[in-house]
Amino acid sequence: MLVKLEKVSKKFSHNGSGIEVLKEIDLEISEGEFVCLVGPTGCGKSTLINLIAGLEMPTSGRVLVGGVSVTGPGTDRVVVFQEAALFPWLNVRANVEFGLKMSGMPAEDRRKKSTEYLKMVHLTRFADFYPHQLSGGMKQRVAIARALAMNPKILLMDEPFAALDAQTRRLLHEELLEIWQQTRKTIFFVTHNVREATVLADKVLTISARPGRIKGGTTIRLPRPRRESDPHLIVIQQRILLSLQEEIAKVVKDEDLDYLVEKTSPVASGSGGLGNAL
Amino acid sequence: MRKLVLWLLVLAVWETLSRVSPWIPSAVGILQRVAANLTDTEILSSLGRSLLRMAVGFLGVFVLGIGTGLLLGKFRLLDEIFGTAAMALHAMPGAAWVPLAVLLFGLTQWAVIFTVLLGATGIVMVSTSAGIKEVPPLLLRAARTMGARGAKIFWHVVVPSAVPRIVDGLRLAWAFGWRALMAGELMIGSLKGMGEILSRVAKQRDLHEILAFMIIIAVVSVVIDHLLFRRMERLVKTRWGTA
Repeated sequence: MLVKLEKVSKKFSHNGSGIEVLKEIDLEISEGEFVCLVGPTGCGKSTLINLIAGLEMPTSGRVLVGGVSVTGPGTDRVVVFQEAALFPWLNVRANVEFGLKMSGMPAEDRRKKSTEYLKMVHLTRFADFYPHQLSGGMKQRVAIARALAMNPKILLMDEPFAALDAQTRRLLHEELLEIWQQTRKTIFFVTHNVREATVLADKVLTISARPGRIKGGTTIRLPRPRRESDPHLIVIQQRILLSLQEEIAKVVKDEDLDYLVEKTSPVASGSGGLGNAL
Repeated sequence: MRKLVLWLLVLAVWETLSRVSPWIPSAVGILQRVAANLTDTEILSSLGRSLLRMAVGFLGVFVLGIGTGLLLGKFRLLDEIFGTAAMALHAMPGAAWVPLAVLLFGLTQWAVIFTVLLGATGIVMVSTSAGIKEVPPLLLRAARTMGARGAKIFWHVVVPSAVPRIVDGLRLAWAFGWRALMAGELMIGSLKGMGEILSRVAKQRDLHEILAFMIIIAVVSVVIDHLLFRRMERLVKTRWGTA
């Protein structure tokens, strides 16, 4: 098992009160697997990615990668974020080489690597461009090349295509699958888009709303490339959607409640307001 | 082009008014003086001296302002101790430094350069340290997942992401420094330079000549701002996406 989460919980304190974002998550990802996690917005999907990346630490439980407990960020787990997070002052090639440079790789080897991965994402011609000259889809491809150049054990993708138009997203799905088949990288991909998940993944996990817990998993054995409109896939999508529906309803109710509390209650504003009001 | 036409229009109105009222100086007369002065080698050499002082002072502003700004932005403790001092330095009018400068350096070049330095360093300090503190957290996280730590993050992510703010600061510092330079030269008076000429001309009570020199002083500053700082700012803003 490449990645293993054991009873992982995460709480954030907010204005003195604790919010439980993730509760006792158990999760396993095998080497070479493409796993998608689907869940409503605000259910802690990004937090889960951050925990595996080592950008945040769990409140309780353990995160193991390759059998070793995660204590911080590491180049064996690279994240592709929703916004490409490219460095605007570096051109495309320098962005792809950033991590290699940080690890002290000589310039010549870096150049070879960046050429290789730029070819993989079909951006060789744009090596000298700066991020502000690229479209959203191209930026994400640079981010993917930059992550792959680190040769990580696992690629963590946090809603990487959520901000793109449908056309571009479909194109990037194809490219990502091609890359995955070429490199056999383990991919953990988080999204709120069920169709996206079913087109991509070997296994689709669903997560419940606050506190987030893994609700279930669906293994998809259909051959790739898959079409979103494939009837087999639609059946699977319906099943996943159904299990998510309750969760989405919960989130909406929660938010209404938050809104009402903020609107009507004097205790919501100001710290320790509850004590004073009583 | 539009701007040029508007300017010509303003000049035409001004000139017409000056023909009517003896109290209004002639636009054409002033411009003639400007042209005459700009071909006078003695005046040009004075301008050169002023610009040289400015360049030396500005080099100091660049090094000192960015250096201390980086320190203030990086170390919280320093910011708590000296942050307010930086703001005070920034708020101080450049001319207010002249008496101290003369006390320290006498009626010399260095007194003027010192005035420029203190008149313009504050803004660079403040904007550099602000830029350091405003690094997008997302970029920091991305860098950390790619194995960057501590000093590497600082030099490869934090500092470059502060560049737009630093350039902003330098551009303002140019204007502040130029004012401080004129204040210093006007008050010291014994050093050849634009400020000295202005004070000399003022004693002759020649309105056209005073205005002509003021125009030269303003135009030189604006031209350098356009050719150097605005270009730099534009390039940085498009690339960094902060425009």
